[in-house]
Amino acid sequence: MNAIASQISVGLSIASILLLIALGLAIIYGTMGVINLAHGDFVMLGAYSVWFLQKQFGMNLITTLPFVFLIVGGVGWLAERLLIRHLYQRPLDTILATWGIGVILQQAIRLFAGAELRYVKMPQFLINPVHIFGYEDSAYRIFIFALAIALLVATYLLIYRTEFGLRMRAITQNRDVSRCFGINAGRIYALTFAYGAGLAGIAGALVSPLKSVAPDMGTSYVVDAFLVVVLGGVQSLLGTVASSYVIGQADGVLASLSDDTIAKAVVFLGVVVLIRLFPQGLFAMRVRRS
Amino acid sequence: MISQRQTTHRLAAYAVFCVVILLVPLFVSDAYLLNKFARYIVFGILSLALSLSWGYAGILNLGQAVSFGLGSYCMAMALKLRTIPIQTGAGGLPDFMVWNNVHTLPWFWEPFHSYAFTLFAGLAVPAVIAFLIGWFIFRARVSGVYVAIITLAMLVVINLVIIDQQRYTGGFNGITDLTTFKLFGVEFGAYSVATYYLAAVILTLLLFLGLALMNSKTGLILQAIRDDETRVRYFGYDVANYQNFIFCVSAAVAGLAGMLYTLVMEFASPTFLAVPISLSIVIWCAVGGRASLLGAALGAIVVTGVQGSLSDSKTFLDTWMLIMGALFIVVVLFLPNGLISIGDVIRGRRQRRRRAAPARMPEHAEIAAPGRSAAR
Repeated sequence: MNAIASQISVGLSIASILLLIALGLAIIYGTMGVINLAHGDFVMLGAYSVWFLQKQFGMNLITTLPFVFLIVGGVGWLAERLLIRHLYQRPLDTILATWGIGVILQQAIRLFAGAELRYVKMPQFLINPVHIFGYEDSAYRIFIFALAIALLVATYLLIYRTEFGLRMRAITQNRDVSRCFGINAGRIYALTFAYGAGLAGIAGALVSPLKSVAPDMGTSYVVDAFLVVVLGGVQSLLGTVASSYVIGQADGVLASLSDDTIAKAVVFLGVVVLIRLFPQGLFAMRVRRS
Repeated sequence: MISQRQTTHRLAAYAVFCVVILLVPLFVSDAYLLNKFARYIVFGILSLALSLSWGYAGILNLGQAVSFGLGSYCMAMALKLRTIPIQTGAGGLPDFMVWNNVHTLPWFWEPFHSYAFTLFAGLAVPAVIAFLIGWFIFRARVSGVYVAIITLAMLVVINLVIIDQQRYTGGFNGITDLTTFKLFGVEFGAYSVATYYLAAVILTLLLFLGLALMNSKTGLILQAIRDDETRVRYFGYDVANYQNFIFCVSAAVAGLAGMLYTLVMEFASPTFLAVPISLSIVIWCAVGGRASLLGAALGAIVVTGVQGSLSDSKTFLDTWMLIMGALFIVVVLFLPNGLISIGDVIRGRRQRRRRAAPARMPEHAEIAAPGRSAAR
């Protein structure tokens, strides 16, 4: 029984991280039809931001989180303003441009922070295990889970309960009509992209103490997040949440049965087969045509 | 429509390029340099493969390196089995298997004792994998950005599996210490003229075969699918079949490039099917010109050539990738059809200007006409 509980807890923590990454990806894709291949590198940038803030200013992981959000969000904002906004008419080319941005970020980190692995300290009070419902669990894992839920709720409120979210949804439905009503589409796009990037940054910050921080760490996360988006679709937050949970748990369970690689391969094959079976049902084809 | 004269010009450009690459060994005698050039030509083939599916059919395959790497591994397996055993165990087991406590040759290694099978497998294995993936995604009418995501995910997964299955694939180290490939009495050593010619002749053949394919009915339908998939579907063509066909052809060509690459490099490594190579292929293709076979091949040769002639140091390579990323973005933004289209872009501008000038004339004439009639 204990083994199953810990299994679920591991799966939940994988799912929480995935959720944060996929949430940003799905919001960006849902709103502007851009697949952001630099998303993994935003995750990486988040992890490096924590490392840098910790080394330079001796900050605690938790106090760095707002700064990480602002730093990575700022980079995302710049990327949208400088490049991506020129490519809304050519959806396939946004993939290339964002891949280019990813390369530049990765190489810039390699040149300025070094290619060697970096390590981030976990906050002292989260290292010890805690007892919950009679089980022992890592406090840090619970922290990740709680923060992911909090950010999910915040995102929900942002989209469905604020003026900004209203404008964002309006643009998603029909950009031209929304603009006629005086909504500044460019500004909303830039802020949406920045918000998605910021979420990826937070995810990067959260994984930084669990795994070593390296310039190419983003790739593996972003691939999983893509699978989440492909499986869950971008129409609803619920789809993203559900498929993060499914993929996170599948990853966790399969990894415990065999190993990480086989788990990834099986999950990938599963998603490809599911696409064939439910081409319309699991995700909506919304390639932007102008 | 492409005019007769443009077709002739294009054929001439292709011919000149092929003659140039075939003449290179007459002027280069340094074996090391020739090996480098052979490598660039292999990259040219690889980039051409992507141009077939991306430039002509609109299928952006971000996992092209999978086909390349698998082709490379096929060739390496065959050559490994023929290596004179130094550290091998009983029955000519490859050395890394001995280190990993594998006692019998795995079944999928067996057929690689035959060169005929190897050459077939180097093309067929990538093509079959592409077919299976393609069957799922094209039948489901997944297009555009999703193809890119799924192929990228496939690349990462297959790369992980190959590194993970160290007992059978050599893991991180790949397959090294290979013998020289020998066919019909000709030895294709990495530094030999024969290997260079082999690569150059294959690139030449592929350029013209590719051109013929793209000017055939199939090729025209593929280009129509790229421009408007739905309309082609309404004409009654089975879009998924055409897409899957070119996807497989592209994979097989990349597999061929992979086999050649093993000959040129003398090893196979999981880095051949890692994300950076796949990214490079897309960059070469985009920079050279995705919708032109020659452009794509030239893109690869020029970019890797410039890179190779500058430096090989680690910091330089990192800076170089940074520059490539920036160049890539600039090309995507301003020259979607790559450097090869510069001529067309300039010609288009001039034509537009010329067309704009006479276009104003009738306007003036029309306004002037009533006045003139009134004067009369």
